[in-house]
Amino acid sequence: MDSHTYNIYKPLRATLEEVIEESPLIKTFVLTPDEEFVFKTGQFIELSVDGVGEAPFTPSSSPLVTDRLEVTVMKTGYVTGIMHELKPGAVMGIRGPYGRGYPVSEFEGKEVLILGGGCGLAPIRSLLFTLEHMKDDLEKVILCYGSKTPADCIYKPLFSRLNSIDKFEAHRTVDITDDDWDGPVGVATILLDNVKVKIDNSVAVVCGPPIMMKFGTIRLLEMGYRDEQIYLSMEKNMSCGLGKCGHCMMGEFFVCKDGPVFTYNEIKHNPEIWT
Amino acid sequence: MFYAGIRKEDWHRSLEKLLTTYDIFVPVKDEFSLDYEPFRPDQAERIVYNTPKPATPLKNFFLPVRENVTSSRAGSKPRIIIGVPNCDIEALMLLDEIYLDEVFADPWYRSRRNNTILVASDCYTVNDHCHCLSYGVKPWSMAHADMAILAEGDQIFLRVMSETGREIAEQLTDIYSVDDAAADSYAEKRHSEAEELLTALNAGLPDYTATGEIIQKAGDQIWEKYAAKCVSCGACTTICPTCSCFLLIDKPDFEKVKQMDACQYPGFERVAGGEDALFELHRRFRNRYMCKYVWRPQKFNSLACTGCGRCIEACIGKINKNELFMELT
Repeated sequence: MDSHTYNIYKPLRATLEEVIEESPLIKTFVLTPDEEFVFKTGQFIELSVDGVGEAPFTPSSSPLVTDRLEVTVMKTGYVTGIMHELKPGAVMGIRGPYGRGYPVSEFEGKEVLILGGGCGLAPIRSLLFTLEHMKDDLEKVILCYGSKTPADCIYKPLFSRLNSIDKFEAHRTVDITDDDWDGPVGVATILLDNVKVKIDNSVAVVCGPPIMMKFGTIRLLEMGYRDEQIYLSMEKNMSCGLGKCGHCMMGEFFVCKDGPVFTYNEIKHNPEIWT
Repeated sequence: MFYAGIRKEDWHRSLEKLLTTYDIFVPVKDEFSLDYEPFRPDQAERIVYNTPKPATPLKNFFLPVRENVTSSRAGSKPRIIIGVPNCDIEALMLLDEIYLDEVFADPWYRSRRNNTILVASDCYTVNDHCHCLSYGVKPWSMAHADMAILAEGDQIFLRVMSETGREIAEQLTDIYSVDDAAADSYAEKRHSEAEELLTALNAGLPDYTATGEIIQKAGDQIWEKYAAKCVSCGACTTICPTCSCFLLIDKPDFEKVKQMDACQYPGFERVAGGEDALFELHRRFRNRYMCKYVWRPQKFNSLACTGCGRCIEACIGKINKNELFMELT
């Protein structure tokens, strides 16, 4: 694209094709952008509701698909509340992709341990599609995921599918059980107690609510992971996505541009990362 | 770089001619303040050269308070901004880092930068709160502007510093050559006078190389103490030549309006889930200092303060950041 005519603020239009209810508070929006949309797994977009507002989301679909994009949205605030009311046929806006995604080429030859919580499974699903595509170059992929209740778990069919793929295994836990749940109960990190992983030849990926990111990182460090082996997907108020507006500053970093994926080693010097 | 001379009268006559091609802004003094105004040939005697400093920071010429950033618009007339103090020129260099970065250049900022000729002004005097020297910024420009102006009686010396500056100089009526060495020695005399005034005024201020460490080590007590007088009005950020944060506001038909914003306002970092790292006022207050003296230097290798002192003048709570620094050292 000609950098002299490209307007960094202008969204690309995308038609909402389908809305999938993932959980009581989470929906996946299937979009077809007006132009081919290329992104790297872990990069994020600003998704807008016309005239209302925009918010940052990491696509949950495969980066190998460029004519269709899936974005999983938890109803949390004003903009996401209105998004949840949208019906197929609506036109939405997309800016991006922004930031630094997962450096998947660095995962080659390694075991990838993924710790996810809540809506954090959205970016992880995109990562899993990517890892599945490159599974011949990976040793193992282990997903440990926690949701508040069994009903809050998103992409439920994903787990059985992952468990059927060679080299992949997926584990689930819930904070609060119900009558039908017979799996583990507790926060996502408890699943780490039973995983078999060669830490020296492994990387860990953490994506979820801030509290899980913090305690997940602490647990991984206790297990013996080194700071530079832990990849964190940081969550801040990314507003412009361009490293300018200042809303997502985390110490010296613009999370939108320098992240959102950082190794713990890159950001550990900053005491503000968990706030 | 070279010097040229022109009689003040001829300079103003030349500016009048240039008005057909350029919008021209000059520093004009009234009973309340000194600020940029559009050049009016019939009021040339109101222009004040070499005196710090226009109330409006230079950034306002490049980052309007509010603008639509998605609609195309007609190109604007090129501009000449005259009388820019070096604190503002140096601040613009940091804005360039952010707004003209290689990956995401802001097209509106870039177009204004390309469209603007900067005529700096060597400061002969100082204001109460000028402290550029403590940040390693000189009260005169030797680079980053197209020209610099030095007025002396009815004469004006122009330090021509860029190719664009040379092209403008060629369009001036009755411009004459001056001996560079003589002009240099005149400028140096003025510079050392200004430097002496600043050195006396800034006695006790920490050296800029130490400010980051001082701020980083400061405990909550100092932030709570100074923030007690802060009402989050954001005047310090509005008037700051380097503060450049903004908010994008959505308008129908996917248009976006960019509006200047600031970390001093409540909710600046609040996320939809409700977490707000800057919920408490003293955290917001501290954030501005951390940004200017620790984080921006780490990211861009440059302090985000050039010592213009406007934030001290603008604060309705009479918070003086220099007093804060002196208390910490």
